Amino acid sequence: MKKISLAQMKAGHKGRISEILGGSNLASRLMNMGVYKGKEVLKLSHIGLRGPVVIKSGRSILALGHSIAAKVIIEVE
Amino acid sequence: MIKKIYLIGNPNVGKSVVFSRLTGVQVIASNYPGTTVEISKGYLQLGNEKIEVVDLPGTYSLESTSQAEEVAVSLLKEYPKTQIAVINILDSTNLERNLLLTLQLIEKGFPVVICLNMCDEAAHRGVRIDIEKLEKVLSVPVVSTCAVTGSGIKLLIERIKEAAPSLREKLPHEELWKEIGRIIEQVQHLEHRHHSIREILEDASVRPLTGLLMAAGVVYVSFKFVRFIAEGIINKITDPVFHDLYRPLLERLTLYWQEKGFWFHLLIGDLINGKIDFKQSLGVLTTAPYIEFGMVLPYVASFYFMLSLLEDIGYLPRLAILLDNILHRLGLHGYAIIPVLLGFGCNVPGILSTRVLESKRERFIASTIISIGVPCVPLQAMIFGLLGKFGGFYVGGVYLVLFSLILILGLILNRALTGYSPEFLLEIPPYRFPPLSMLGQKLYFRIKGFLIEAVPVVLIGVLAINILLYFRLFDIITGIFAPIINGIFGLPREAIVALVIGFLRKDVAVGMLIPLGLSAKQLFIAATLLAISFPCIATFIVLWKELGIRDLIKATLIMMLVSIAVGGVLNLTMAH
Repeated sequence: MKKISLAQMKAGHKGRISEILGGSNLASRLMNMGVYKGKEVLKLSHIGLRGPVVIKSGRSILALGHSIAAKVIIEVE
Repeated sequence: MIKKIYLIGNPNVGKSVVFSRLTGVQVIASNYPGTTVEISKGYLQLGNEKIEVVDLPGTYSLESTSQAEEVAVSLLKEYPKTQIAVINILDSTNLERNLLLTLQLIEKGFPVVICLNMCDEAAHRGVRIDIEKLEKVLSVPVVSTCAVTGSGIKLLIERIKEAAPSLREKLPHEELWKEIGRIIEQVQHLEHRHHSIREILEDASVRPLTGLLMAAGVVYVSFKFVRFIAEGIINKITDPVFHDLYRPLLERLTLYWQEKGFWFHLLIGDLINGKIDFKQSLGVLTTAPYIEFGMVLPYVASFYFMLSLLEDIGYLPRLAILLDNILHRLGLHGYAIIPVLLGFGCNVPGILSTRVLESKRERFIASTIISIGVPCVPLQAMIFGLLGKFGGFYVGGVYLVLFSLILILGLILNRALTGYSPEFLLEIPPYRFPPLSMLGQKLYFRIKGFLIEAVPVVLIGVLAINILLYFRLFDIITGIFAPIINGIFGLPREAIVALVIGFLRKDVAVGMLIPLGLSAKQLFIAATLLAISFPCIATFIVLWKELGIRDLIKATLIMMLVSIAVGGVLNLTMAH
C-alpha cells in the first residue's frame, strides 16, 4: 500500500481515496459529487502535463483541475 | 394545500425537459451544467387549480457550496413546507450520486415526490431499478419517467398531491453515503453490457490524444457544416427571394417616384448603374433587410443549430477539459470555452454567460477577450461575403490575427491582474441524442432572440447613417480622424464612417465598406479592425452591466490600444 495523489496516479489505475487535503469546502464539494474518503475511483486520463484529471467515480465521470487532483490522496496497491 | 411546486435535481438529469412537459412553457434546456442559473417559472393545471412551478438551478446538495446551490436553497425557503411540493428529479442511469440530494431533502422534512427520469436510457445501459422497493425504503412516492418522450409524466402529475414529509429517521451527514450504498444494493440491479460505440466514443473524447483528434474533427466538421448550410440557404432561398421577387417589386415602386430626393435617398438609397444594388444602395428598404435576412440570418441559423446540437449531445464539457491547459495560461479554466463559443454567435450572450465563471478576475479576462478577439456570426458572415472573393488567405488571416490576439491578450492579462483563477471541477455528462423537437425549440428561441435584438437596430442604424450622409455631417468626423485612418491604417478617409457605424452594428459596417472599392489589403485591415475595436452598442451595454463602469473603461482602453497597434502593424507589414 502506498499513498499518492490523484495527479501522480497513472491513467487506467484504480485506488481508494484516503484523504482530501485543502479546506473543508473542497472536501464537501467533492463529497456532494460522490467523491469522498473510502470511495474507489478509476483514473481515466490526464490531459497534458499540468492539465485536468478525468476520473470515474461510481457511474459518474468527473474532471478535476490539476491542483484539485493534487489534493486528493489515493491508496494504491 | 399546495401553493407552489419546486423542481430540484442534479445538473444534467433532464430537469428542464420535465419542466416544459409539466408547464408547457418552452425553456432552453441544455446538456451542460450551469445554464439554468436563471430560474424558469410556469404553471401546472392541477385539478381546478393553477399552481406555479419553479425550476431550480441544478444542484448536487442542499449545502450551498456554489452560487447556483445557494439560489436553490434560498428559494426553497420562500414558503412554509406545508404549502409546497418538491419534485426531486433523478437520473436513473446514475441513481447513487443523485440520492444524496434526495436524502438531504427528506432529512430536512420537505414533502417530496421522486421522479426517476431517463428510465429508457437506464434500461438501455443495463440499469434496472426496483421502483416499489425504492418507494418503500424512502417512504415517499417514486415515479419513473422518460421526459423526452413524455412517458410517466401523467402519473407524476397525479401523484404530486401525495407529497408528504418522509418518516425516515435522521442520519448524521457522514453516514449519508453509507446509507446510499445500502439503498443501492437493495433497489438497483446492474446487468453487464458490452461497451457500446457510444461509450467507446465517450471514453475516447476525454483521453489526450484521441480527444484532441476528435476535437479537431468536430470543430472542422462544424465549421464546414455551418458554411454549407448557410450558403445553401443563401443560394437556394434568400437570394432568389430578394433578387427575383423583392427587387422587381421595389423597382415597380420606384417607377412612380419622379423626384429622387430625400425620401428616395432614405428608403431606396443610391442606384448603382441605374439599378438597385442590395449590397451598395444603402437604403432602409434595400440594403438593411438584405444584410440582415439575406447575408446574416442564414449564418446565424446554421451556427445556432450546430452549437445547440453540440450542447445537447454533451460534447462541450469534453472540449472544456481538453482546452483547460491552454486556457489556464490565459487566467481562465476550461469551462470558459462555453462563453467564448457563445460569443462566436453573438457577443451579448457570450458575455452574459461569463457568469458561470466564479471569480471577478476570470469574468473580466473572459469578457475582454470575447469583445476584442471573438467575431460574432453577423460579422463573420459579412467577412466571408466580402473577403471571400479575394481568396481563403485573407479570410483565414482575419481569424489568425484574432486568435493570436486572444492568446497574447490573455497571457498579458493573466500576468498583469492580481488574484488567482479557481480550478475547475466538472461532471462530464454521457452523450445523449436530443429529440429534434427540443433542438428545434431551442433554435427557434435563439433565432427569435437574434431578430428582436438585431432588426430594429439595423433599420434605425441605416436610417441614421442615411440622414447623416444626406446632410454631410460625417465630413466633420472624417476631417478629425483622417490622420489616424489614413496615416496609420492606410485606409481612405471615408472608411471612418464604417468604423463609426461598427459601434451600432458590425454587419452593417462591413456592408458600408463595399462602395468604397477597397483593395484586398485595405479590406482585410478594415474588417480586422471592425472585429477588434469597439464592440457594438448592445455588447457595450452588457459589458457595462456585467463589469461595472471602472472595468468597462479599462476594457475600452485596452481595446483602443490593441486596435491602433494591430491596424498599424498590419498596414506596415503587409504587402499590397
